[in-house]
Amino acid sequence: MRIFKLLSAFFKVNVQMSLAYRADTVVNILLNLMWLGWELLSLNIIFNNTDTLGGWGLGELIALLGVFRLVNTMMIAFIWPNTEKFNQSIRDGSMDYTILQPVSSMFLVTFSRITVWRFWDLILATVLIVVGVNMSAETTTAPQILTFILLAITGMIIIYSLWIILIALTFWFVKFDNNVTILQALMDSGRYPATVYPAWLRIIVTFIIPIAVATTIPLQALRGELSAIQIAVFFAVSVISFFVASRVWKAGLRQYSGASS
Amino acid sequence: MFLIFKRLWQVNWAEQWQYRANLLMYLFYWLVSPIIYLAVWTSIANVKGSVNGFTANDFITYYMVLLICDQMTSNIVIHTFAYKIQDGTLSGELIKPIHPLLTNGLVNNIAFKVLTIMGLLPIWIILFFLFKPNFSGVAITGVLLSIPIMVVAFFIGYLLSAAITSLAFWTTRVYSIHEFYFALILLFSGQFVPLPLMPKLIQDIAQYLPFQLFLYFPIQLILGKLSTDQIILGYVMAGVWLVIAIVTFNWVWRQGVKQYSAVGA
Repeated sequence: MRIFKLLSAFFKVNVQMSLAYRADTVVNILLNLMWLGWELLSLNIIFNNTDTLGGWGLGELIALLGVFRLVNTMMIAFIWPNTEKFNQSIRDGSMDYTILQPVSSMFLVTFSRITVWRFWDLILATVLIVVGVNMSAETTTAPQILTFILLAITGMIIIYSLWIILIALTFWFVKFDNNVTILQALMDSGRYPATVYPAWLRIIVTFIIPIAVATTIPLQALRGELSAIQIAVFFAVSVISFFVASRVWKAGLRQYSGASS
Repeated sequence: MFLIFKRLWQVNWAEQWQYRANLLMYLFYWLVSPIIYLAVWTSIANVKGSVNGFTANDFITYYMVLLICDQMTSNIVIHTFAYKIQDGTLSGELIKPIHPLLTNGLVNNIAFKVLTIMGLLPIWIILFFLFKPNFSGVAITGVLLSIPIMVVAFFIGYLLSAAITSLAFWTTRVYSIHEFYFALILLFSGQFVPLPLMPKLIQDIAQYLPFQLFLYFPIQLILGKLSTDQIILGYVMAGVWLVIAIVTFNWVWRQGVKQYSAVGA
């Protein structure tokens, strides 16, 4: 329960912070809509020239866009702003105060900064997924939808774990403030099914920087392309990676020696 | 004047060299979308044989050349200059008898370009072996003709971006305006897909805008896909837009400097 209280407190503080820049919020939402327009236009251009992309239809790509936006929202609403704050706190030593709190430091580092206006993207993403699923010709069954949701969550946990490991490396290499660029750079690969990429790129986005695990794979579950064993594997991988990430985080914390004090 | 540029070059080169690790990260970041577009379109072309006359090899060569043209013609002036107007550090540069954006800012951008192109070369060669493009359509005249176009396109892009950057004299939301401008480039330059595959309306508008000179026109010129008439038209457009860009930038800059409030001084 304490966790929820803390979350709502963080949320409140961040809402207040963004209320100071109301006009910026409006501009940001307009720009966000502009990019949505561009994304739909680019899908339109692709499907004016072909009927399927790697066997996927327009509806499925719209649903994929929705999942992509979901993952992207997690990145922009939590991961980027908190990375910035974290890197800063390692450099100037204000990490001290985070560690002193009687709550898991990993929790604090994940949630203390929230880009609140991005939450509206969750609505957009949901609409895109629902519309996309309805547009695709094949009928989807309830278990498929459930595995889709499950795998979207496991995918995000895997990416989150990778993020924790990447920023924890900063404890050892203080000047490692490019720690998340690689994650940021490959993000765009989530807009299209990884199955159309050449093998080397598919390997990178599946196994090394697993963007596809949170975007393409859940959609494949929705299309009923995954076996029960594969689904179990992804689930197990997410549990293991979360466990490994929290271990690395703790090891990193022991390494931390402060900066100024 | 030559001596001024020489010194500016030394300073800016040394500065950019300091950030070479960041620069590699930037390069990596920038590479991803063209490679994804390449993968998407070649997979479609492979299934269908050709898309609107474009074969898989046409797409591969298009995006491979795009990587070079984009580095030649793009600029980063918004990132290196807008903050100087906002935090007042511009004051020191305004006192000097040389134009901040047309000397120091320009040389800084060019130093950045030279370094990124140096970093791009080995990556480009790796991609060459991964995608195995067939460049048999490329003729030396097309390559030679594309060089002046890319130089002029760089200056057009630089002046237009500099004009937008100068809007920072009036508004703090200059980055949002620049994001909108960036979307226009994406739409009309042929970055996402060769322009003939775009909807008719966008193609018609793109013809008259400068953005196709950044990518689509020089790429097709290098690949030897343009007729003499189209080449002449492109050159004329480049000349016209260079003049428009110079006039626009000068006007915005002059009005802006009058507006400048030297924050923090």
